[in-house]
Amino acid sequence: MLYQEIVEEELAIMDEETPDEPSKTLSPHEIHVPLHSLMHPPITIDMGGSTQEAIDRMLDSKVGAILIVSDGVLKGIFGERDVLLKILNKPVGDLTQIPIEQFMKADPQTAYVEDSLDTAIMYMAQGGYRHIPIVNEQNQPVGIVSIRHIISYLVEHFPQEVLTLPPKPSNDAMKAREGA
Amino acid sequence: MDAQTLSLPISILNLNQSCTVEMGTPISEVIDLMQRGGFGCVLVVNAQERLTGIITERDLLVHIAEVRANPDTVRVDDIMTPSPESLRPTDSMAFALNLMHLGHFRHIPLLVGESDEGEGVYPASVVSSKDIANYVAAFLEEDKEG
Repeated sequence: MLYQEIVEEELAIMDEETPDEPSKTLSPHEIHVPLHSLMHPPITIDMGGSTQEAIDRMLDSKVGAILIVSDGVLKGIFGERDVLLKILNKPVGDLTQIPIEQFMKADPQTAYVEDSLDTAIMYMAQGGYRHIPIVNEQNQPVGIVSIRHIISYLVEHFPQEVLTLPPKPSNDAMKAREGA
Repeated sequence: MDAQTLSLPISILNLNQSCTVEMGTPISEVIDLMQRGGFGCVLVVNAQERLTGIITERDLLVHIAEVRANPDTVRVDDIMTPSPESLRPTDSMAFALNLMHLGHFRHIPLLVGESDEGEGVYPASVVSSKDIANYVAAFLEEDKEG
């Protein structure tokens, strides 16, 4: 009986200490995270570089997009999707001889370091982009943000809901047997 | 947007039907399908239409652009990622975020049906990080409009 009383007392204390917490929210105000705190350094190639060089650099750096610059100023962006749509299965010739300028997307949508994540999210959704180059006032690339940054941000904002999940979802909890 | 949103099923996202090919398909055909349909990945199925692999733009970049292999002679089985992680359309968005974050996946196949182990088997659609970003963007837009 003494054990039962102790357990009930503990449960009563736990109930007092853990009132129902309101669900954590993500307000637009909170998505105003400055891009300079999230962005990665850009991988760049000069306008004179070849397409093969650009592809090799993307593979070596394990990035999905590379920025094309001329005298340090952003001129274009080239990514995995450009390889798929403009190069593969096409009679393009020797990629070591074709300047990247031919396949890059010129004058890409950019954001500034002082812009916030919500700006980048809107640009990505509206334009269907996966990467947004971050530039300074001279249009020189200083960073890049990708869709992966958005996923990481959401996970970091809701760690309890995302990172504490079991490895596999339970497909039918009602089927699970209780006890041995 | 709140924590409860993440417990909503993935199926509430505006998902497209998945593009599937059978084992043995030449990569040139896969590239053609991806170019015409605007797909970021293609799911590979066996003769029983069960998911066996996935091919993404990255795989094509690595194997075709880097190795410069001939897309007519390379088959999907040669370069696909076999037995990819998958979810069901009824699983919560939190599981999709978890897999994308920890596994560095951009696409997760969503399966229906049930195997003996209680897992999905037949591809129904794919959830991508882009779908999640678009969902967040819609939430931002909604808030802006008041």
